[in-house]
Amino acid sequence: MAHIHLGEGSFPLWAVLLWTTLGAGLIGVVVYRLRKGGVRANRIALAGIGAAASFAIFQLNVPVWGGIHMNLTGLVGILAGPLLGALIALVVNVFSAALGHGAVGLLGANTLINATEAVVAYYAFRTLLRTGWELFPASAGAATLGLSAGAVLMGAMIVVSGVNGSALPRGDLTLAVAGLVGLNLGVAVVEGVLTGFVVRFLASVRPDLVGLVDRDPREESAGVTV
Amino acid sequence: MQRWKGYGGLAGLFAVCLAAGLWGFTATGGALPWARRSAQALQRGVQEGGGPLVDLGRGVVVAGPIRNGGLMLEFLGVVGLLSVLGIGLYVYVDRYRGPDDPERAAR
Repeated sequence: MAHIHLGEGSFPLWAVLLWTTLGAGLIGVVVYRLRKGGVRANRIALAGIGAAASFAIFQLNVPVWGGIHMNLTGLVGILAGPLLGALIALVVNVFSAALGHGAVGLLGANTLINATEAVVAYYAFRTLLRTGWELFPASAGAATLGLSAGAVLMGAMIVVSGVNGSALPRGDLTLAVAGLVGLNLGVAVVEGVLTGFVVRFLASVRPDLVGLVDRDPREESAGVTV
Repeated sequence: MQRWKGYGGLAGLFAVCLAAGLWGFTATGGALPWARRSAQALQRGVQEGGGPLVDLGRGVVVAGPIRNGGLMLEFLGVVGLLSVLGIGLYVYVDRYRGPDDPERAAR
């Protein structure tokens, strides 16, 4: 659920420029690779559903750990893959910022964080499956790892950037951010368990959605470009 | 790999994350909504606090900026739009296999 909730102007200008540039660079690489490699049409449809689910749950504050929201970015990464997962992170953050949930100036930073969650979850899931883990522990563990990576990145971004208006010395700020990151790791467990159940259910009814079997041997890349 | 290794690894990962979560929960003010916790911790530093880890009485609520900003209609509109687009696309690609589909050509 890592997401920087600070308002506009919380980060110094150089940090906003840095994270926005890096975020734009990541999206540029993703779009380039999607255009070059093509993407299966059913993956685009899955990405659409994933974006809807992620956006909806992004705005719902659940009364656990004091009050948090989930992202489903781990699930999105596992289902849609790292490239579409990164694009979904951008779409969800744009819509969220448009509604006031997350600053527009932090779109780059938040996209980087959520894209990291999706990418790490995808590769962790594939790696754990290859090493012989069953579906539930592999998906739950991968989502937890992905979300943890996003939380750590979020903390690092805040510490590196500093927060305008905060009189905390860098050491105290780091300790406070570490507490926020720690809480995020606890939340990651909740989301990881949820992801594990969803993936196991999907694998039982449509294993092709989870990438366990080919959807259709005739259906290679549809040549659809983004 | 034996089954217990996967579940054992997952249990270990969960244990580490839950311990970190519990520390973060108490160190950053206890039972506070995330936005308030985040603002408070970054402005004033770590502050011990308690409260329930799960507070079902509060229920699931829409994020403050949307709820308080009167943007519920827009929120539901975006969710509806994305859902219709996603499900519509999914149904479309599930049925349509292109002009070279043998089944389609036969029909």
